[in-house]
Amino acid sequence: MEVFKNLYNYRELLKTSITKDVGGKYKHSFLGVLWSFINPLLQIAVYALVFQVILKSNIENYAVYLCCGLIPWQYFSNVVIRGAAVMIDNGNIIKKVYFPREILPISLVTSEGVNFLIATIIILGFVIFGGIGLSWNILWYFVIVAIQYLICVGIAFIVSSLTVYFRDLFHLLGVFMQLLFYGTPIVYAMDSVPANLQWILRLNPMSYLIDAYRAIFYNKTIPSFSGLAIALIMGIVLCLVGYLIFKKLEKGFAEEL
Amino acid sequence: MPKNNENRIIVDHVYKSFNIYMDKANSLKEKLLFWNRNKKEKREVLKDISLTIKNGEAVALIGVNGSGKSTLLKLMTKIIYPNKGKITTNGKLTSLLELGAGFHPDFSGRENIYFNASIFGLTKKQIDERLNDIIEFSELGTFIDNPVRTYSSGMYMRLAFAVAINVDADILLVDEVLAVGDQHFQEKCVKKMKELKAQGKTMVFVTHSMSTVKEFCTRAIWLSNGVIKMDDEPDKVIEQYLKETV
Repeated sequence: MEVFKNLYNYRELLKTSITKDVGGKYKHSFLGVLWSFINPLLQIAVYALVFQVILKSNIENYAVYLCCGLIPWQYFSNVVIRGAAVMIDNGNIIKKVYFPREILPISLVTSEGVNFLIATIIILGFVIFGGIGLSWNILWYFVIVAIQYLICVGIAFIVSSLTVYFRDLFHLLGVFMQLLFYGTPIVYAMDSVPANLQWILRLNPMSYLIDAYRAIFYNKTIPSFSGLAIALIMGIVLCLVGYLIFKKLEKGFAEEL
Repeated sequence: MPKNNENRIIVDHVYKSFNIYMDKANSLKEKLLFWNRNKKEKREVLKDISLTIKNGEAVALIGVNGSGKSTLLKLMTKIIYPNKGKITTNGKLTSLLELGAGFHPDFSGRENIYFNASIFGLTKKQIDERLNDIIEFSELGTFIDNPVRTYSSGMYMRLAFAVAINVDADILLVDEVLAVGDQHFQEKCVKKMKELKAQGKTMVFVTHSMSTVKEFCTRAIWLSNGVIKMDDEPDKVIEQYLKETV
């Protein structure tokens, strides 16, 4: 496969852009590191207030429950939103130098992935201090993250190349992601959705993954294999389709940007 | 090692046209509201270009502004792609198309060497080995640790050129950028390029400096309105070119 050869040959570029992205976030101030914890914590506080105190959700340990879904969701959502802009932001280089363009979405998904690994400390904090504790099942975490990575790469291929041609997509995605947030069982449980509507949630690969994260952290059980298998298949299909779309569209990047 | 007569660049019946938008509607809203605004005009920049560049050749592309020289060079680097026809390159390729392409203005010169060279596909170890040569060639001295946004355009060019010629490419593509440097640096560049030529590297330039072409190139290609008008020894092409255009 040409893509792997390219990634290997240009590994230094890939490495530089990942460390630039991860490091850049934390580089200038100590508070920078703190903010990436404060931000999700505040969000969890807001949702917990709305859904537990005001709407009186009957889910036990609601903040922990929420946290297991919200943090992985943020990884996904950041990839979509930032992925849509990644070509436009790097237009200057794309127009002047040749390098394998797939480096850009892949390094974005990877650096956001590193941020997610760091943010997982929040989930661990919540389950440990929220009175749930840990079990060996959290080792499944690495399998689930790997599947999420695949899904993110596929989606990043698609949104990054399409927005070059349809700039509206960038704004549309902002609204769409807000919608999809409520269309994914993050603030509520899959079971509480009317049975005849559940199929809609099952179209969304993130539903299976959030279920799986919740299984290993919140319920301390083994994740559903059928759910993971479906998410894995969706991830592989997204990657292949995304890569084909990307390869088709990348030839026009320098002219469209 | 490449064979002596190996083809480095093969351009096979290449056509390239650009859509020129009079006033481009970028968003859906604009497309719907101002549907008539989206007038575009197709401009054919290259028409049926075929040429083969062999290993070790130093080729100059000459022609008046807008004749398609830079477009041809961009096609060779795979930044843009032809509408019809095919371009094959064979070997590691480096390009120097515009000043400071692939530089990050807030990074220091030294950091940009790493960034820029990694865009050309070098690994960290390879860059480490070349770092001193690059800094020495650029003559930036202590400025190398200042952010490049503080550089003058001459310093920019010196750094970019120093990186490009040190990546050990088989093919070097250079667009009119040398003009920025002072006399001393230009001479140094020409000297370095002669060295590379002697090592059997392949080079393609876009240039308006006929003296450079005469002094240095083994072949000159004259583009006029997107077609090859002449492709021969530099002296002959330049004589004809000057006769017709000046």
